[in-house]
Amino acid sequence: MSAGAKKRIMKEYGECMAETPAGMKINFDEQNMTKWEVLMDGPDGSVYAGGHFKLEIIFPNEYPFKPPVVSFRTKIYHPNVSNDDKGSMCLGLLRPDEWKPPNKVVAVLRLIQSLMVEPNIDDAIEPSIANEYKENRKEFEKNAKDWVKRYAK
Amino acid sequence: MSAESINIITIDFPDPDRTETIDDHFDPLPVRSSEKLLHLIPDHELSNHQLQSNESFYFPVPNIQTLSSKGVERGDDPYGLLYIPALQTDECRDSEKQYVPQNATRLANLPANSGYALIAVAPWFSPLCMKEYFATARNEPVKAFIVYQPNPNSTAVPPETNDQAWALNDGGSWQYNNQFPTYAVPGASGYLIASKMSDYSGNMSTVPYGDSLKDQFEESDYVRLWAKVTADSGTQLPSLWVFLVIVLGLLILIIGATSFCMHVVQRRRRNALRRRVINGEVDLEALGVKRLTVPADYLTKLPVFAYLGESERGEKSMSQASTTVDAETSLKGVPLSRRSSAPEAPSTTRASAIFSQPTCPICLDDFEPNESQVRELPCRHIFHVDCIDPFLLNNSSLCPICKQSVLPPGYCPPKITNVMVRRERLISRRRTQNAPGHNHSPGNIVARLPGAYDSLRARVGRTSGGRRMFSAPTRTQSRPLDIEMTSGAPPVPAVQPAPTATVLPEIVAAPEPTRQNTAEECPPEPPSQYPQQRREWARQRALALLGNRHAPHDAEEEEQNRSRWRRGLHKIFPGFG
Repeated sequence: MSAGAKKRIMKEYGECMAETPAGMKINFDEQNMTKWEVLMDGPDGSVYAGGHFKLEIIFPNEYPFKPPVVSFRTKIYHPNVSNDDKGSMCLGLLRPDEWKPPNKVVAVLRLIQSLMVEPNIDDAIEPSIANEYKENRKEFEKNAKDWVKRYAK
Repeated sequence: MSAESINIITIDFPDPDRTETIDDHFDPLPVRSSEKLLHLIPDHELSNHQLQSNESFYFPVPNIQTLSSKGVERGDDPYGLLYIPALQTDECRDSEKQYVPQNATRLANLPANSGYALIAVAPWFSPLCMKEYFATARNEPVKAFIVYQPNPNSTAVPPETNDQAWALNDGGSWQYNNQFPTYAVPGASGYLIASKMSDYSGNMSTVPYGDSLKDQFEESDYVRLWAKVTADSGTQLPSLWVFLVIVLGLLILIIGATSFCMHVVQRRRRNALRRRVINGEVDLEALGVKRLTVPADYLTKLPVFAYLGESERGEKSMSQASTTVDAETSLKGVPLSRRSSAPEAPSTTRASAIFSQPTCPICLDDFEPNESQVRELPCRHIFHVDCIDPFLLNNSSLCPICKQSVLPPGYCPPKITNVMVRRERLISRRRTQNAPGHNHSPGNIVARLPGAYDSLRARVGRTSGGRRMFSAPTRTQSRPLDIEMTSGAPPVPAVQPAPTATVLPEIVAAPEPTRQNTAEECPPEPPSQYPQQRREWARQRALALLGNRHAPHDAEEEEQNRSRWRRGLHKIFPGFG
């Protein structure tokens, strides 16, 4: 990883510290700065409220030319998060062809928060959950809350 | 190398002891080196010494079996005077009498110490005596050994070399110990030769037609039997092998011809692609065919200047920019202010570009007025030289912000590879397949969607193993133009009169992030209701969406990641698969 990328990550971390978005906590390891651990509270008013989700952000060596890779370490019932042990998500600005260097991690985190409030059905990675969200909202909410209780407490 | 024929003839040659002068045709001098012995009676001189057939013995031996071809080189057929080697033990000498006439030619009947090439003849009547024959022959200038079976009535081809009849109870080592080849002839032939050898063993007066021979030759001359073995070339392969070799040869020929044709075709395609790239019909990087990089010499031509600092116009823009959190929002001011100023006046242009872009989008550091060295790309975006140069040199030729190519139109990379040709063809094929009116597959939802091209992108990306085929969607290129043309005021992202098909750039931090984006980016529907297929579809899609953190970024890398045999296959058959 180049010095420029490290500098940029440091800078972004500084910015994140200066104004951490509400309901987030960032664990940063000086030794391995390409891997951030984020603790995110389920946004109030969403089905995930009350849950605590652990996310992992991994910066590629080509950062900021390549997007960071975001994955949920806590299982979450969400159409945009893959329902496996990877918990990967990839949409919007996280997509390699959409990503632009001026984008910042804060923006990524905000995007994730907003997705927890309102999933993006059209860009779902888990079509079954997306379908449920579309057609049977009650069932979806029940399942999501169930999972929050089970995994994210 | 087996013997094709053995011809036995009768020759006359002078007694070397008596010959004082060297004969032109015949050199009877005793030769010490056995090498030279072979040449003592060269083929072309043979006729001089061969006796007239009506007064001599001539016998082409039929039905020869080669027992050992040791020491026979190609084109070096053994020949020599026939003789019966001496036996060592009395028992053998006694038993020999049944098979060999008493006065058959022995070594003693040939000129002493002459060193002539010899061919030994002996009956194979017992292993023990045979060993004695061989032992004697090994010490004499024997070029070949002719054995015959003791049965005087046999005319059939003698048994093969591994037959029990030829066993000497030594595990077959006699074949290796003998430095000469061994041929077996039928018993009848053997007896005939042996009896003729007894005819031609004495002096001129005792041989058949001796009287008439005396008239032609010196009386002291020797008249003896002489044999020449004609060995085959030894390259005659068993028919199965010949067949296999022919088949193999044909296969290689076919493969070679096919490979050649494919190379020619591929070469033409490469040239065609190059032409189209130069004509601007194909944009390699926009199509994702090839990730281009900017050559160093071209990069140095891009303007570099010190960041100028702020002006009164800048302050306006700056205040605008500082209110927006997102860096990109501020960047949108760039084309606007550029448009409003005269593009021909570089200083104004730059100034306006700069104050609307106060930070380097790569390192996020603010530009320091009059200090920071910035590079301006053709799209007017500016970056720290240190930040943008490595990216353009090593990663991509597209502006990191607007994905507009830095390279001049019609730029063609020096090398068009087969991989590029293949991808370009794949992509254009997909495009024509999915063009409206060709939508014959019922599951093909893609073409019906408004953003068919973009969905297609995903499909193409997926088919190529989760790789992203299109690094820059074409629409991104038109975006700045739209903004420029339609809005004249300082940039407020909300006043975006562009048609909805155009993606708004600020998906970044916008509270409702991907609404408009997804209208176009809408993925193909899950293919069917079967859970298995749906799961697979989801997996594929996840790969397509996520995929390329580990995926290769370039055609060459992809090529390197292929297994070796596939690479080899592609070398031989370019354009295959």
